[in-house]
Amino acid sequence: MSTASEPAAAGHAATEPSAAPQAGAVKLTMILSGAVFALMMVFGLIMRAAQGQWIELDPALFYQILTAHGAGMVGTAALSGAAILWYFSGRHVVLTAGIYWAFLGLFLLGVVLILGAIFVGGYGGAWTFLFPLPALSGGAWEAGAAAAFMLGYVSIGVGFLLYYLELGRQIHARYGSLARALGWNLILGREDKNPPPPTIVAAAAVTIFNSIGIILGAAVLVASLVHLLVPGFEVDALLAKNLIYFFGHVFINASIYMAVTAVYEILPEYTGRPWKSNRLFAIAWNAVLIFVMAVYWHHLLQDVVMPPWMLVVGQLVSYFSGIPLIAVTAFSTFLYVRGSKMTWDLASSLLVLSVAGWSVGSIPASIDGMISVNKVMHNTMWVPGHFHTYLLLGEVAMAFGFMAWLVRGKTISQMGGLDRAAFATYLAGAAGFVTVFLFSGAASIPRRWAVHYEEWLTHDRIGTLFSVLVVLGTLIFVLRFVARLGRSEG
Amino acid sequence: MLVRALPSVLAAVIGGGVLWQATDGAQAFTSEAARRLDVVRAPRAVPAVQLEDMAGRQVPLLPQAGEVVLVEFIYTVCGDICQIAAADFAEIRDRLQARGLRVRLLSVSFDPVRDTPEQMAIYGDAHDADGAMWTVARPLQQDLPDLLELFDVTVIPDEWGGYQHNAAIHVITSDGRFSAVYDTDAVEAVLAYAGGGQP
Amino acid sequence: MRMICLALLAFAEAVALREAAVASPVQHVLVQMPLLVLAGFMAAWDLKIPRGWAVPLLLAALTVFLFWMLPRNVDWALSPAGETAKYITLPLLLGLPLRLSWPWLGPILRGFLKANALSMLGVLGFLYTHAPVRICNSYLVSAQHDLGFAFLYLAAALACLWAIPVLFGHPRRGPLGAAGCSRCGA
Repeated sequence: MSTASEPAAAGHAATEPSAAPQAGAVKLTMILSGAVFALMMVFGLIMRAAQGQWIELDPALFYQILTAHGAGMVGTAALSGAAILWYFSGRHVVLTAGIYWAFLGLFLLGVVLILGAIFVGGYGGAWTFLFPLPALSGGAWEAGAAAAFMLGYVSIGVGFLLYYLELGRQIHARYGSLARALGWNLILGREDKNPPPPTIVAAAAVTIFNSIGIILGAAVLVASLVHLLVPGFEVDALLAKNLIYFFGHVFINASIYMAVTAVYEILPEYTGRPWKSNRLFAIAWNAVLIFVMAVYWHHLLQDVVMPPWMLVVGQLVSYFSGIPLIAVTAFSTFLYVRGSKMTWDLASSLLVLSVAGWSVGSIPASIDGMISVNKVMHNTMWVPGHFHTYLLLGEVAMAFGFMAWLVRGKTISQMGGLDRAAFATYLAGAAGFVTVFLFSGAASIPRRWAVHYEEWLTHDRIGTLFSVLVVLGTLIFVLRFVARLGRSEG
Repeated sequence: MLVRALPSVLAAVIGGGVLWQATDGAQAFTSEAARRLDVVRAPRAVPAVQLEDMAGRQVPLLPQAGEVVLVEFIYTVCGDICQIAAADFAEIRDRLQARGLRVRLLSVSFDPVRDTPEQMAIYGDAHDADGAMWTVARPLQQDLPDLLELFDVTVIPDEWGGYQHNAAIHVITSDGRFSAVYDTDAVEAVLAYAGGGQP
Repeated sequence: MRMICLALLAFAEAVALREAAVASPVQHVLVQMPLLVLAGFMAAWDLKIPRGWAVPLLLAALTVFLFWMLPRNVDWALSPAGETAKYITLPLLLGLPLRLSWPWLGPILRGFLKANALSMLGVLGFLYTHAPVRICNSYLVSAQHDLGFAFLYLAAALACLWAIPVLFGHPRRGPLGAAGCSRCGA
């Protein structure tokens, strides 16, 4: 294991953001993320067009694409979030480059395994690998394909584990304990001469809950692998479902909670007011730490065998989990932006949009978290509607905003014509796209169906048109990033 | 660099090799799986043991004149798996009979002290084992340990005065070798194997 | 010397548990086997090795660990040959190399091993509590369930043991670790 190559001279780089260590690795990650985001959006476009019967798509292939889209988007959201968090944590603690490269290498190995499992092995059991579906393909794929898919996850999980071990270790070394890095001194009113900045609070919280998620996820993955290889060994299906949704929920949430550090670190450059940790901020993040782990039960509201108190907690926490987000991040963003004469370039626009999209997306999420609604809505388009809102308009917008900021050049200037057009295209496309999903859900159109009835085609076709806009906007963002990257380094 | 990594690579290769060997090439993780694999690879010669059946007659364990013998280990007051296994055994008997194959079925008690011929007859009655093609029999107490070891059957007393054991169907082919093990409910597989072994 | 005595004590304790190990898989897998590992660990307490040996020894220890985790070898460990192998390999090829290599392992590798231990205990717990078949021929199904739950309890206990110092700081150290100060230049 490589532990060498610590940038000994880098020191504490808080005063000179542009000298952030490992910027090259982060930029490479963002190129990969942007490319995969675009490709996965094309997959989404293909699925919508197939549902709208504009193109012919074999249903088996539809489910493979669905699986690739789910796994690819969750993975890339997490990858881009991890790159953002690594970049900004590097302003406050010294992180080992070797670990980041190991993380990236394991991630890419996982991607190869997953893509092979799907498009060579034919695996189409959805990104959630819900037990025992991977073993019950009905002839659509061999056990080996499902096993390769899960091994891909294991590889990505190991990469993330190394990432968090390094992050947690360095935070621990700098702040003495993760509790202090979580801002407990601020909460308890104790004196702290060197309180953790927002990025470190976020990093500490994500390190804790995502490490727990990965450890439990690894357990259920290995148990599922054993089941695939030796079918006699079974896991309790309800327990497996709990573990899978705990892992999946925590993992996808972590991607946003990592990426939001871009808002904390970049927006102050525009508003001129530093984003500081205070008591309320620390309380909010400690609440997030608990809520992210306690809310996953809202994925199991239709499992009547679950103990009722868990479902009640799932519904209650669904309501509450919006509060720390809206009260602290969204409200603060609003306050910061309102009083300042900030320049609206592509980066700041996308970052403010991301906070807005994330907050708006929590509303349909809370609605779906209600037991009475969930019984009707959970298998409809409402669900992709809500998570596309806070991913497409939230996490992905954060990633694109961060990319735009990375190549912003020496001076900040107003948006040019192309930037303006790309932003408007992306915003209009994404907003329309998720609205169609939500409308379809309200109209009881089911999700995950490869073939749609005639009555649903209008929804699907409007959705397809909006997704073309999203793809266009994304292509401009990514190509612009790559072009400017070459220019600034040349 | 390469020289420094050599011991680690060597250790990893040896370790992997040891584990590969210890699981018969990642095929057998439990002793039950291991025994089944081993029997197929290296069939074991069965000694000429005589058993006492439910009518008090002596019956040979070894196949006679080209027949195949299917052996289940049981104890007659078994409350759970043996009862279900016996029903499957009866089905196998019926289907073999219908096909006119030369196969003998033996339910061998591993509790010869309690399982007297009378007791075995009750068990035979309950499951329609009439003593013709399928009979219930017990070994002499002194032969029992060797038999259990040969067939790799582990019997341990349970909490309710009975036993738990690795229940299975053991096949002795016409050459007098114990050469396959099947789950007690693997009716089709047993039929295919017993039928295929016939001339 | 004191450590050698402790090692002998642990070994004697393990041998004394022979009968109990036959009766209960919890005593066998989670008491007797760990005691044997501990014996080797203690025996090597004062020994030092060069850094280059750390990874090969760790791999050897992991191999032996995985070997004895296989259910078929838990059965085998109750036969005379397996029992001898158990008494020899667990201290000498698992406890001893683990102790020798541990000081050389970096914090990331240690954390990785610990996280893996938790995951794998969880997997064993799921398998042993829910397997529809008997995993070990030498033990009752009810004992198999007990062992599964014992794995889960152990995982929970280890998770607390390892997480608390990270969360709340080391009890014998100030809130700002010395390493942290020098490293960050703060």
